[in-house]
Amino acid sequence: MEYLAVVFAPHSLLSIIIGTIAGVVIGAMPGLTATMAVGLLVPFTYTMDPVLGLMLLGGIYSGAMYGGSIPAILLNTPGTPAAVATAIEGYPMSRQGRGRLALKISVIASFVGGMFSVLILLMFAPFLAKQALHFGPAETFLLALMGLAGIVSIADEETSLLKALLAGVLGMIIAIVGTDSMSGSLRYTMGSIELIDGIDFMPALIGLFSMIQMLEIAGQRESMQIDASVLKQAQKSEPMPKGIWKYMALGSGTGTVVGILPGEGATIAAFLSYNFSKRLSKTKAMFGKGAPEGIAAAESGNNGCVGGSLVPTLTLGIPGNSVAAALMGAFIIHGMIPGPDLFAVHADKTYPFIYSLFIANIVFLITGISVAPYLARIALIPPAIMVPVISAFAILGSYSLKQSVFDVYLMIGFAFFGLFLKKLGYSLEALILGLILGPIAEHGFSQGMIIGKGSPWIFFASPIAKVMWVIIILLLLPPLIAHGKRMLRGAARVDR
Amino acid sequence: MTRELLDRIVLGGFIVLAVLLYLSTASYPGIAQKTSALYVRFLAVSFGGLSAVQLLFSLRKPSGSGEPLDLFGRASRFFGLMVGLIIFAVLFESLGFFIPAAVFIPLIAVMLGYRNPAVIALSTGGVLLAVYLIFVQLLSVNLPGPNLF
Amino acid sequence: MKLTKRSFVAGLALLAVMGAPAIAQDYPTKPIEIIVPSSAGGSTDTTARIFAEVAESKFDGFKFVVNNIDGSGGQKGFEAISRAAPDGYTIGLVFTPQLVAHIASGRAKYTLDNFHVMGNTADAPEIVVVPKDSKIKTLADLAEAAKGGDLTVAVNGIGSDDFLAAKAFEALVGVTFNLLPTKGSTEQKAAILGGHVDASFMNLSQMEAQHKAGDATIIAILTDKRNDLVPDVPTGVEGGYDVQMRATRGFVAPAGVPADIQTKLDEVFAAVMADATFQDKAKASSIYLLEMNGPDYTAYLQKLQADTQKVFDAAPW
Repeated sequence: MEYLAVVFAPHSLLSIIIGTIAGVVIGAMPGLTATMAVGLLVPFTYTMDPVLGLMLLGGIYSGAMYGGSIPAILLNTPGTPAAVATAIEGYPMSRQGRGRLALKISVIASFVGGMFSVLILLMFAPFLAKQALHFGPAETFLLALMGLAGIVSIADEETSLLKALLAGVLGMIIAIVGTDSMSGSLRYTMGSIELIDGIDFMPALIGLFSMIQMLEIAGQRESMQIDASVLKQAQKSEPMPKGIWKYMALGSGTGTVVGILPGEGATIAAFLSYNFSKRLSKTKAMFGKGAPEGIAAAESGNNGCVGGSLVPTLTLGIPGNSVAAALMGAFIIHGMIPGPDLFAVHADKTYPFIYSLFIANIVFLITGISVAPYLARIALIPPAIMVPVISAFAILGSYSLKQSVFDVYLMIGFAFFGLFLKKLGYSLEALILGLILGPIAEHGFSQGMIIGKGSPWIFFASPIAKVMWVIIILLLLPPLIAHGKRMLRGAARVDR
Repeated sequence: MTRELLDRIVLGGFIVLAVLLYLSTASYPGIAQKTSALYVRFLAVSFGGLSAVQLLFSLRKPSGSGEPLDLFGRASRFFGLMVGLIIFAVLFESLGFFIPAAVFIPLIAVMLGYRNPAVIALSTGGVLLAVYLIFVQLLSVNLPGPNLF
Repeated sequence: MKLTKRSFVAGLALLAVMGAPAIAQDYPTKPIEIIVPSSAGGSTDTTARIFAEVAESKFDGFKFVVNNIDGSGGQKGFEAISRAAPDGYTIGLVFTPQLVAHIASGRAKYTLDNFHVMGNTADAPEIVVVPKDSKIKTLADLAEAAKGGDLTVAVNGIGSDDFLAAKAFEALVGVTFNLLPTKGSTEQKAAILGGHVDASFMNLSQMEAQHKAGDATIIAILTDKRNDLVPDVPTGVEGGYDVQMRATRGFVAPAGVPADIQTKLDEVFAAVMADATFQDKAKASSIYLLEMNGPDYTAYLQKLQADTQKVFDAAPW
């Protein structure tokens, strides 16, 4: 109880509110990620009271995870890779004038996912962390495969399955540039020091989504008129679709579980939840054209990662993803070494921190709901103003991630060549998924082969691995059969 | 150029890339032969295979309507923005963010046909202020260029 | 003209003084940049920030700005330090063995001669860890178990301190490990706690808490003396295996800084290292201080470079 009193002290509340709102803004800007923000602010909290500092950072983490969905829905420019799935459904919705609903679903789903995962963190952290340890490199490889199965889901009637797969593999190929972590040798870096760490996915994400969108608007042939009727519609508030809660529950569970496991959890969690929701939905045909279920699952999935990723971080000192790793730095700076001590010796700081995450979720829920009607008006901004402004942010964002001008050129290159691929019907979502998950898959595969002493049997050995294979097959088979049938029908038509 | 032709050229390029990638794995040193090289070969084979199948489909389809390719839309505006971006990037290292952005934003807005000076000035100023507050003040990102502040 | 040679010389001298803004009397006139070649919030970064904080409080007029240039195993940051203007307004925190490993592998655009070495601040002793229920209890057990050649041992990346220690142990005992390179201590920790590998070479701070909680066992510490934090752990030398490795973190400046400014910087360094606040803060953040002065640390770096070169030549990466 005394811990609750700490959380509700005016200073604490202020820290949480500032952190969360700053997090939403940071998440909403393409190129500013929660990892970067937490990393940069850790030294700043060094001079603060430890509890207040941690609350600030926790708020940023929670807020940023939600914030990424705002530009994804309104401008088709996901602020974080975890919001790419949200953009697939959210942008079509706002084109149809249902942006306000999409924003509402996304904030509520984020809230549900966040609350659920923090509750799990509070109640079962030590037990779950022990279970997560059974998860080795081989299983990490399978987790990446599960995420990549999302490529099949991205492909629908219009975009051919072959081209979606090709784009995914192309992303994975781009990702092999850099240091080979098994031998330490450099692959395809052409002597450039900039490429030693490989091609980062942030410049790619900004180039392929934000910048392409701006280039397309700039080149638009029709005069840039705003459709007034769509706008009027956008001001109307729609009730939440029936049965949407089911998908939020699905996403929250998936997100929390994936968050506990190692790897870049949030992206996998969002795509996996999205994939699950598409498989379960009765209106599969709506996916890709603005299905609220997709947003609900993806957003509750990526916010579910927040609490999930802190489970192994706090109990074992093994961060579930890069944001959690940066956050762990803040604990260590204050002399709170993750492990059992955190819940005994430092309980007076750890529990208030965990409770503060609940408040952070409430803060972004209130913020999101109250600003949604105004945000929907972003569509009112004349394209001629929006294009240069977003372009400037795209440049700044790609630069500031690694403070490298090389990344700015990379971003422009991705935008230019990505446009060709897009016009030829390749799925850029699949490409970015391959680029992000490729390295995780490769690392898990290579390490699995070493631990298995050269035998691929390791990928089928453990009970967890067997369950994962079943899920992967369940995710892949139905869409593959459907695509196969369509292709055969198409071929038959050509023959006639 | 038609969409179909460009599509086939790109697919051909993909097949070449896949073959080169496969061949390059032979030079991976030591332990990488048993690990990374297998993975990269798998990627190369899938990439080449998928491209070949897609090319086959494309060639079997009777040559379509010869649908012309509209890559850029209004090319002058498209390339105007591209050139603007590149110049911005080139100047970034020496002049930093604020000076190029203060020129870039109004220039592109005018190029895209916007004529209201008050709105242009307000949005340019707003962006610069927001960047200063968030990047420089809050996150203390080290931006290059002359130290104005 | 009565404008004598003397006044001419005096004029020249005045010009020279004005032309060289960085003289010791009014140094520093602007903030000093500390280049940290790793990301913000990490242990190296924390070392630099604690150092800066204490130095600012002890020396009037000194102000420090930390600039994190991370990536490519520190190489980008090391190169930035070596390239910086030697005016005393840029110093850097380097770490071994990466600093010399990049030279050994021929990738670095710098040599040790490009730096003026101020001294070492902290070290991270190398340890050997096994899962808690492992049959391996000593280094002798480890050597015995590795004979078949399929003992899986995790290290933090190729060319890291862990990797070099494992290679040195292999050479000493005449075995070959099934080496598992990871992307950092996080993965090593998970692999040991989950029992996915047989042993791991890591740094003390990364496993100290787990060892004390009984979740993993440190079987040896690879330094010359036992460590106060884990007094029950024997050194490698005690068991008859003379393998020594530690990661160090020291301050350097680009070579060619004017002597008087350099003396001032060295003085700041020594004063901060001796400061009680600095020592307390470091201890709270699990940073083990190990002071070495400039010449000693230079000698250490040169020896380490020679040793690393040998390992690289035997099995390049």
